Formats: sequence, structure tokens, C-alpha cells
Amino acid sequence: MKNIFKLFTLSVICLFFSKFVTAEVAPGFNSWDDVKAASNGEQVNVYMWGGSDAINGFVDDFYGVPLKNDHNITLNRVPLKGTVDAVNQVLSEKEAGVTGDNGNIDLIWINGENFWTLKQANLLYGPFASGLPNSKFVAWDNPAVNLDFGRPVEGMESPWSSAQFHFMYDSARSNYEDMPRNYSELSDWITNNPGRFTYIKPGKGGFVGTRFVKQIFFELSGGHDQWVGPYNEELYNKWAPKVWELLNSWESSLYRKGETYPTNNADMHALFANGEVDMSFTQSPRGAGPTNSAGTTPATSRAFAFYENMIGDFNYWAIPYNAPNKAAALMYANLVLEPTLQAAQVQPANGFCCGWGISTAKVTDSEGMSAIADAQNNLGDAAEDQGILAKALVSDIAAEYQDKIEADWQANVLLK
Amino acid sequence: MGGDRLKIIVSLSPPLLIIIILFFGGIFYGLLQSLGYHPAIQKYEINLNAYYNVMFSERYSKLFWTGLGLNLWVSFVSTFLAAVFALFGALAIRKTFFGKTICNFIYSLNLPMPHLVVAVGMIFVFSQSGLLARMSAQVGLIGSPGDFPVLVKDKYGFGIILAYICKESAFFFIILMSVLQSLGENYEELAQSLGANKWQRFRYVILPLVMPSLFSASIIVFAFSFGAYEVPALLGVNYPQMLPVMSFEFFLNPDLNARSEGMALSIIIAMIVMILVIFYFWLTQSKIRKD
Repeated sequence: MKNIFKLFTLSVICLFFSKFVTAEVAPGFNSWDDVKAASNGEQVNVYMWGGSDAINGFVDDFYGVPLKNDHNITLNRVPLKGTVDAVNQVLSEKEAGVTGDNGNIDLIWINGENFWTLKQANLLYGPFASGLPNSKFVAWDNPAVNLDFGRPVEGMESPWSSAQFHFMYDSARSNYEDMPRNYSELSDWITNNPGRFTYIKPGKGGFVGTRFVKQIFFELSGGHDQWVGPYNEELYNKWAPKVWELLNSWESSLYRKGETYPTNNADMHALFANGEVDMSFTQSPRGAGPTNSAGTTPATSRAFAFYENMIGDFNYWAIPYNAPNKAAALMYANLVLEPTLQAAQVQPANGFCCGWGISTAKVTDSEGMSAIADAQNNLGDAAEDQGILAKALVSDIAAEYQDKIEADWQANVLLK
Repeated sequence: MGGDRLKIIVSLSPPLLIIIILFFGGIFYGLLQSLGYHPAIQKYEINLNAYYNVMFSERYSKLFWTGLGLNLWVSFVSTFLAAVFALFGALAIRKTFFGKTICNFIYSLNLPMPHLVVAVGMIFVFSQSGLLARMSAQVGLIGSPGDFPVLVKDKYGFGIILAYICKESAFFFIILMSVLQSLGENYEELAQSLGANKWQRFRYVILPLVMPSLFSASIIVFAFSFGAYEVPALLGVNYPQMLPVMSFEFFLNPDLNARSEGMALSIIIAMIVMILVIFYFWLTQSKIRKD
């Protein structure tokens, strides 16, 4: 009898507090001060792709140090071979019934399909993104931010940085003026330079290649606008045959006559650096800068962009449902949006390769503004003109297109 | 009597438990997922859809069957050639001669080398931007490095076969050397005194004696090369693609529904290897019985 009474009281209390759910900054925290207090002394376990020493060092130096000194939070960065490894781990923990605060991962550097997988399976903590104080710098009204590969973010991840597809050439071999500025010019270039071009095989692990093909849809169909919004099978079917036709017409002039394609960025850069092909791809606002300083592309490499249809997107931090240190994770996600730290990640001297996660126009304090201006001015000659990039920027489209393009490219170009 | 049996069971159970839990546990779990049972994404129905998709669907069938063909071709050819090279190497080296130790060392050098390293070495040496291509272009044998024949990342799997021969012949070599050393030369001397010539001594004396160990080594090498991922991933082309690489691509897919296909493909690879191994055993056993 006593137990039943206890249970009853407990449920009344629960009901009472559930009233306040809408008022909290993130599930379980009523105010940012609560988050701060709870995070004191915690360790934040950050799971992220670890293939770049520059990025790893940046995270340790620019986030690890202030987290420790200002907030008494210890950063534990766990390098991954691919983000999907973290997705698999969360999934395994779910299968093993690891709930509450008993997981291992506090944050995952994520976007696109990996995010969608976790969100769809209800494996994420949130919504939290708009509760972060620095969320005021984020352009949440921009579809490139509030949609991740065409799928609503809904506060389940918070942005870190951005990237935009464009190309690299080697100034020791080619002239900037001779580089193509759209796909039709690229077609001519390929015909005139047989064997000197290839692209990354569209597929898992080669999403940059998928992006390269996706942009052809925009150009052939006369514009990107019609592709925004939910997946449109009819539209896709109308243009897909023309895209395969174009890609197949290149085949005899491609590297190795299209018998094989590089499967990821590293393969592509290697072919480019070895002088086997004359172009590579980059996603960095610094163009060839990051790979030049890493030595994976020749030091004379430079960037160029088409004048339109260059897809840009954002990448984010997400918190798994069973994160052990949710408060520290929130502190971290907030910290990376600090305008001075955002400027630091664009600043070439710091070696990081990604662009802005915030909208720089929303920054009004003088310290942030001068840091931002300084970073913009230092992008260097390995970068394409930022005006050309901004003018060519288009958002990515619904995730269904991704899978469709990868499967159909395989059937109509690789296996045909 | 009863005490002995207990002793055997007790001493055998730790390794047995590990094998049963890790091996059969893993296979069982994989089998469940390949049959579409995947509680994490609320899928509880058991069916053969994943197997059908991998083998017969329009999207994957061509990739699967060409991949299977390439798998069989690569594994058979590399196992056979590695065994032949190792056999002749071992026969030549076992006689004492000047520099025997060095030859022995060079032959077995590849054994501790990881497959990954050998595969990367292949790229450095044999690719169109590799050492040989650049040297041949430098001395004027070919016009530019790009004219060098395609030896790695080729659609016939030559690069993969080359890497496996390089690696596995060292394995065969070690096994053959130990067998040959334990045999000594008595049998051959006897055969020679009975009038057998060099070829006859090889065909009727040595070959039957080393055959059992050569066979079991072949099984190991074949099964390994059939299911290994890293060498074909580095030295293969996108199409045709060896099955382990294809299987891994399913696991890279963030869409969890693709896990079933990946597991189905892995189970198919495991089944084919097991069937071939059983067939192999049956073949050798019946041959031994006949002899």
C-alpha cells in the first residue's frame, strides 16, 4: 500500500514537472546556468573523423584548452576512421540496452545520411541547438543550415563549419584562365585533354563524387531552384538519362578510359599529385591551401570554381541519446560557435580546412568582427575568389537523390 | 577411465568455449541480420530478401556474379602459382650451397609483412605513376609513365594476384622447407640407387611426400584470399569488384537496411569457402585412402 502511494506521488510530481519541459534550454536543463554547473568537472568524449592532423590539432588546442581552463571540462577526442563507426557504436549500445547517461559518446561530428540514420532511429538527444546561447549567430532561417541533405535538423544537431564543392588545378601545369567554368566547358576540356580527367566514383565513401554528378543535374535542367524541396521522382527521371549520356560521352577521354575511378578524396588527390590527371576536387574555402600545406597536393596547386551550381553544406555536432556527459557536450557545442573561435577555424595559419558555421553578418561585437575580417583577408592565393564561390553557392538537395544517383550511376555508367 | 575423460573435457573447454561463443556466436548473429532480423530498427520478420537482392536484383546481380567470378579466378590462380613458386624455390634452396642462408632469408622475408604493406608496395612499384613506369619512361623504353601497362588496379585482378603470390609463396615456402628438412634425403638417395632419374624422383618421391602439407596450406591460402578485404580494396577496380569489397560497401551505407545485404553477402562468402574446403578435404581424403 505504501509503495502504491509512493508511486502515485511520484507520478504526480512527474506530471507537474513535465509542464515545464517547453521552458528548458535542452532536455533535462532548465537554464544555461544549470548546464554550466552540471558540466563542471565532466569529461566530454568527442567522436570525430580523425584523418586530418590539422583538424585534430585544432580541436585539441582551440577547444580543449579553453574548456579546461574556463569551464573545468576535460576534452577526450576519439579519432574515427569514418563517422559511420560512431553511428554503429550508438546503434550497438541501443541493441545492448545501454540507456540513460551510460553510453560512451558525448558528441559526434556529423551530417547528411549519418545524422538522418540516428535521428530516424531516435538515437539522438535534443532538441538542444536553439537553446545554446551562441545559437544567435547561426543562420537558422537559411535552408542550407536548417536542412541537412534536405532533411529537417529540428534542433537535433548544432552547426560547426561549412564546405563548398569546387576544383583544384596545378598552376605549374595549367592556367587559371583556361579552366572550365561550367560542365559544358568541362566537356570540351575533357575532349581536348584525353586521359587527363577523372572524378570520384559516386557511392558510399565517395560523396564528393556524388556531388560532382548531382551538380550536372542542376546545369542540364537549367537551374537548381526546381530541385529544392522534397524528392521529385518525375523530375529526376526526366533528366537522369541526359546526365548518363553526358558522362558516357566523356568515357573514352577519361583517365584509364573510365575503366576505374578513384573511390575517395585521397585517391583523387594522389592521381592529381602524381600528374596522372590535371584536376582534383576540394571542399575547403581555402581551396588547395589545406592539402598544399599537408603535402598531399603539389605546392603550386590552386583552386577554381564553376560560376554556378557549386553545392555547399554545413556540418554539425550531435549528442547521442545516452551521452554520459550531456552538460559538457552542450558547453562544447556552444563554444565552437564563439565568433573568435569561428574566425580561428577559417584562419589559414591554424591549419583547419573548413568554413564558417555561423553567419558572420550576425556578429556585432568588435573583437569578433575584427577576428572575422582578419581571417577573410588571409585566405591566400591557393583559394578561389570568395565572391565567385558565394555567387555559385547552391544548397544540397533531398537525401533520396543521393542514393538514387549512386545506384543509377553504377548501372548506367560503370556497369553499362 | 571416467577421470581421464573429465580431464580431457576440462582441458579442452576453454578454447572450445571461445570458438563456440566468438565464432558461432558471430555467425549466428550475422545470419540473423542477413535474414532481415534487426531489432534496433524494429525489423523482426525473417525472410530471404537480402539474399535475393544481392544475387538477383537488377541493382546488384551483375556486380555480384562478376565479383564471384573474379573472386574464384584470383583465389585459384594465386594459390596455385604461389604453391608452384614456393615448391621450386624450396627444392632449389634445400641443398646446401654458398649463400643459402641469405636466399632462405629473402624467400621468407615477405611472411611477417602485413598484406596491406605488400599491396601499397605494389602500387609504388607497378602502378602507372610508380617506380617502374617512371624509370622506363626515363630511360626511354616508353614515351611517358602513362604508357606503362596497367598492372595494378586492372580489371583482371593481376595486381591482386601478384600481391597474393608475393605474400603467400613465403608461407608455402616455410611449410615446405620444414617438411623437406624433416624428410631428409634418404628417400631420394634410395630412389636414385634404384635407378630413378631427376624427374621421377620429383614426381614419385618428393611430390607425394609434400602433397598433404601443400594441400592443407593451399586450403588456408585459398580461404584467406577469398575472404580478405585489404588487398582487393587497394589494388582492385570498381568493376568487376571482389566480393569482400562489395560487402564492405554495404556496411559503409548509413542506411541501416543495407546491413542485411552486407551480412547476406558475408554469409555467402563464408558458405562458398566452407563448401570448397569440405570438397577439398573429401578429395584429398579419398585420394589418400586410394593410395
